Amino acid sequence: MQYPIYLVVVFLAATLAAITWMAVDMDSASEPAVMLTVGDALGDHDSSGYARADGARQFRFPDDHGAHPRFRNEWWYFTGNLSAANGRRFGYQFVIFRIALKPESSIHPSRWASNQVYMSHFALTDPHEQRFIFHERFSRPAIGLAGAQSQPFRVWLENWSVTEVSDNKWEMHASTPNMRLQLELQPVKPVVLQGEHGLSRKNSTPGNASYYYSIPRLTTHGTVTIDEVTHTVDGESWLDREWSTSALGVDQVGWDWFSLQLSNGYDLMFYQLRRKDGATDPFSSGTLIDPDGQTESLRGNDISIEVLKTWQSHRGGRYPSRWRLRIPSRDMDMVIRPIQADQELDVSVRYWEGAVDFTGQQDGVEITGHGYVELTGYE
Amino acid sequence: MSSLSRASLRYLWRHPWQLVLAVLGIALGVAVVVSVDLTNESVRRAFDLSVQAVAGEASHQIIGGPSGLDETLYTQLRVELGMRDSAPLIDIYGKARASTLHVVGIDPLAEIPFRGRFVKQQDAAVRTLLSTPGTVLMDASTARRLDLSVDDRFKITVGGHAHEIQLVGLFGSHDSNPAALDSLVITDIATVQAISNQPGRLSRIDLKLRNDNGTAAVLKRIHSILQPGARVVDAESRSHALLQMTRAFRTNLTAMSLLALVVGMFLIYNTVTFAVLQRRGLIASLRLLGVTRGQVFRLILGETLLLGLIGSVLGLLIGFTLAQGLVHLVTRTVNDHYFVLTVGELVIMPWPLLKGLALGVVATLLAALLPAVEAARTEPHAALQRSGIEVRARSLVPRLAMTGLALTLGALVLLVLPSRSLLLGFAVLFLMILGLTLMSPLVVSWLTHAVLPLAGRLFGIQTRLALGGVVASLSRTGVAIAALMLAVATTVGVGVMVDSFRSTVEQWLSSTLRADLYVSAPGLSTIRPEMALDMAVLERVREVPGVAAISTGSQIMVESDGRLIELFALGLGHSILPRYPLKAGDPGQVWPAFLANRGVLISEPLAWHQRLTIGDLIPIHTDTGIRAFPVLGIYYDYSSEQGEVLMQRSLYEQHFEDHAVSALGLYLSPDADLQRVIELVRDATLDTQYLMVRSNRTVRETSLAIFDRTFAVTNVLRLLAVIVAFIGILSAFMALQLERVRELGVLRATGFTPGQVTGMVTAQTGFMGFTAGLLAIPTGLVLAEILIEVINRRSFGWSMKTVVSADVFLQALALALVAAILAGLYPGWRMAHTPTARALRQE
Repeated sequence: MQYPIYLVVVFLAATLAAITWMAVDMDSASEPAVMLTVGDALGDHDSSGYARADGARQFRFPDDHGAHPRFRNEWWYFTGNLSAANGRRFGYQFVIFRIALKPESSIHPSRWASNQVYMSHFALTDPHEQRFIFHERFSRPAIGLAGAQSQPFRVWLENWSVTEVSDNKWEMHASTPNMRLQLELQPVKPVVLQGEHGLSRKNSTPGNASYYYSIPRLTTHGTVTIDEVTHTVDGESWLDREWSTSALGVDQVGWDWFSLQLSNGYDLMFYQLRRKDGATDPFSSGTLIDPDGQTESLRGNDISIEVLKTWQSHRGGRYPSRWRLRIPSRDMDMVIRPIQADQELDVSVRYWEGAVDFTGQQDGVEITGHGYVELTGYE
Repeated sequence: MSSLSRASLRYLWRHPWQLVLAVLGIALGVAVVVSVDLTNESVRRAFDLSVQAVAGEASHQIIGGPSGLDETLYTQLRVELGMRDSAPLIDIYGKARASTLHVVGIDPLAEIPFRGRFVKQQDAAVRTLLSTPGTVLMDASTARRLDLSVDDRFKITVGGHAHEIQLVGLFGSHDSNPAALDSLVITDIATVQAISNQPGRLSRIDLKLRNDNGTAAVLKRIHSILQPGARVVDAESRSHALLQMTRAFRTNLTAMSLLALVVGMFLIYNTVTFAVLQRRGLIASLRLLGVTRGQVFRLILGETLLLGLIGSVLGLLIGFTLAQGLVHLVTRTVNDHYFVLTVGELVIMPWPLLKGLALGVVATLLAALLPAVEAARTEPHAALQRSGIEVRARSLVPRLAMTGLALTLGALVLLVLPSRSLLLGFAVLFLMILGLTLMSPLVVSWLTHAVLPLAGRLFGIQTRLALGGVVASLSRTGVAIAALMLAVATTVGVGVMVDSFRSTVEQWLSSTLRADLYVSAPGLSTIRPEMALDMAVLERVREVPGVAAISTGSQIMVESDGRLIELFALGLGHSILPRYPLKAGDPGQVWPAFLANRGVLISEPLAWHQRLTIGDLIPIHTDTGIRAFPVLGIYYDYSSEQGEVLMQRSLYEQHFEDHAVSALGLYLSPDADLQRVIELVRDATLDTQYLMVRSNRTVRETSLAIFDRTFAVTNVLRLLAVIVAFIGILSAFMALQLERVRELGVLRATGFTPGQVTGMVTAQTGFMGFTAGLLAIPTGLVLAEILIEVINRRSFGWSMKTVVSADVFLQALALALVAAILAGLYPGWRMAHTPTARALRQE
């Protein structure tokens, strides 16, 4: 008569398993994350009704710091490397995306009605503790919950925001229950128009392009609070602004994007588009910015990037994790290393966005620096 | 199987009618209790589920005054305070394809922590909800019921305005009870604000606060940004307050079902007693053969247990069927009077079923205990003669009556206790019933002795014998009469109560409804004009020729002292004076003070529930915060049992940001033609919204129709009690007469004709029925008084004038007589046609 006991044990175990399974299922509840996928965000599916980045554009500031709602996508992309007085390093990423769900916005009696959604990613790299914390939020640009305006400049998603507080001075606030970022940013270089006077073509189809400008250096000062310990930090940030309706072509799977701030005052932005067959797309391009803000465009074949090491994410993707970057025409040669391997954001679109350091030479002179690298399409 | 059980079973088998009636009596008693229990539980669960489905995981809610919250509060909460665990919600009711739908507007982007099921795995649909106003989700079963599939467009009517909306997705209901999601329509806030014409407003904001030390600080921060009139409430207590509204109603239903069980128990007792008494010969033989007392006792109990089980299980089945009908009646009443409950499904729960089963078996066993003891105690030789029992029974009668008197006095003592407890009220009710019932055998005995000589002289020997038989076998006739009396008294009591209530309401309606015509937008609840009228309506109606004056009314729910009550804002046109009948207050002082906005009037139930009297202050949550208003007077009102506050429109608008009017009362000039004006009003408002234009008479009739609907449940239960009693009486009287086969055989042998025997049997049962009916009248009146003065008052706070019509008494007498005579027919016929020799042989 032993078997009933086994039956009871089996039954209990099964019940426990079921409960655990349900509990796990509940835990995995996050925001309705699949609001967009890479395809949604940047693919070239039906774009009728939207404005397209299909020609030269007269940029106007501060107007263009605000939103361009007739385009499908837009972002305000801040990244930066910070360090505390005791030498402790942090990397941060704070970005607000605007995504149009429909081209037209109808007149509606309710102020909640909107054809747009705002999304924000906020990530902090803490190599001292080898941790990488990221958060994603959604809200709608209605009844003041989220939005972007140019005068005075402000872009916000609920209580995460970047606000112009005085001429040439912006404040950034982002907080979660376990971390808080309060930074003051001051541009030290003028706005740089990327691509052809701000038109950044992603492939040969006209309109598969974005309007793209950067502020490559903003001196940054403020505090990083993590687990209730506040660190006073200083450093440099980079702002990328881009809006488009469709960018990637059907055969393009992702991109590797580099923004590097050199110790000699130069800044370098370079992205390479990757194709399904593994090749690098000729539409890859970049810009070298000298200490005064003068720019020089770089084409795909001006730069060579060699992957020296990869990192296997436990979530599945294998990402490049060390590069040798050379610009022969400028006699530039450097090795770029992430300040920690795992800087993967597991959000609605999984990607890697991380702080990097580099060392190398330019014209035979030693250079160092830091920056940010974004790797998409490696899932 | 032992030979004992076989003997017992064979006996039962040979008396199939008795067996069937006994089982049926138990079954019906159990069925009534189970059906009411199931219904109550289903309604409560339906309510819980529908509240939960919409409340989700919220720990707290921010709620506002009657017009809800300003939506900017949500922006402040999110942008200034960074409260991420917050979700806005606006809910309304609409009608589509003849169904009432609960339309809930949410922000899909804020939903996951609260009601994740609506948006999970719904990305495409959520995108559509967000970007395309007028799109909705519902669950698959609701869509099926409305005959809708994804992408279909359909019309929904809210407050007299029709809107076209489109179904764009179905949310999963696999993880929960589908009943909870029935009739639920999920859409974006923008859509609900548009179709309900409430831009800028939210019904509430749900919060999820962690239960730790930080909560107080968070709440403090929230309080610092709240607009006047808005406040944070515990999510659970809020839904509790809503459910509390129906408590009195449900308690009364339960009491009715218990009453049915009490009647049922009497009958079970009766049945079992007979089963034992009839077998006293068999038992005596068994005892002589050496069967012990313990064996006899166990035999009787075992047999009863079996009967009880069969009857109870059958009762569960009948109860379940019955409940399916009852649940609709009750849901309708709840919708008429309390809140819109879209769930009408019967939910089978184990608890009411178990309770019913236990109740049936225990009641049967209890009823069998006394006869079983009696049977076991029987000395073999004594058992062979009945007279011993009867002698003992007769000596018991005065003692029973004394006990009954004591119980009645006890009930009276409880009655004068200064208490408001409903439970105590029911204790009074049941003690009184039990007391009066226990006294009935003595009264029967007196009555019989009183009429016996007279009857003998008037109708001859048969009648004398018949009546004498009643007293001679009082052990059984007493119980049978008591049971019939109780059943009839119950119908008399409930009948008088309902009649009194109805006539009070009728009178109240005619003194309260003063306008000639009433205009309102169709609300969801039948009697509450809750939907706002378009601004244009008032202006257009004012222009209609024949309309001399207009009063406006607006009914909203407000909170006072933690209770949800109603507030009626009354706007009086020129030359109209309010004429609400007052329970307390001098009309000459009350109305001038009311018109001068010096305070408010409260309804009688409100005064009762909140123990308020003239001069007290009543606190009300207004849009400007909690305000205390002086009570100027108390008026009679039967429209709301939670209570109502009457406030003049101008005072209302000082405290509520609500300019909506939900009903108009039109006073016509003396020469105006009612029908003509109705048509003119309809024409003038054709392009505004769909309106109900009803004459004074129609409103009165509709109100009474709702009244009757409310008491439909009561009438069903009353009828059931009578059926239970009837079946019991039938079995008891039949057994009684069948037992007298030998006695009647002797009469036949001495020369009585079959006709004379039948006449005798009929005379006896008729007399018993008449006695029961006669006793039922005073008992029923006492019952009615307790129902009116104690139960109703303590439940609802209503006072009513007792109205007794002769009809009720005639009905009671007729009922008792018919039941009794019918029960005597078959035994009479059988005895008359049994050959005398066989009758004398008996067993």
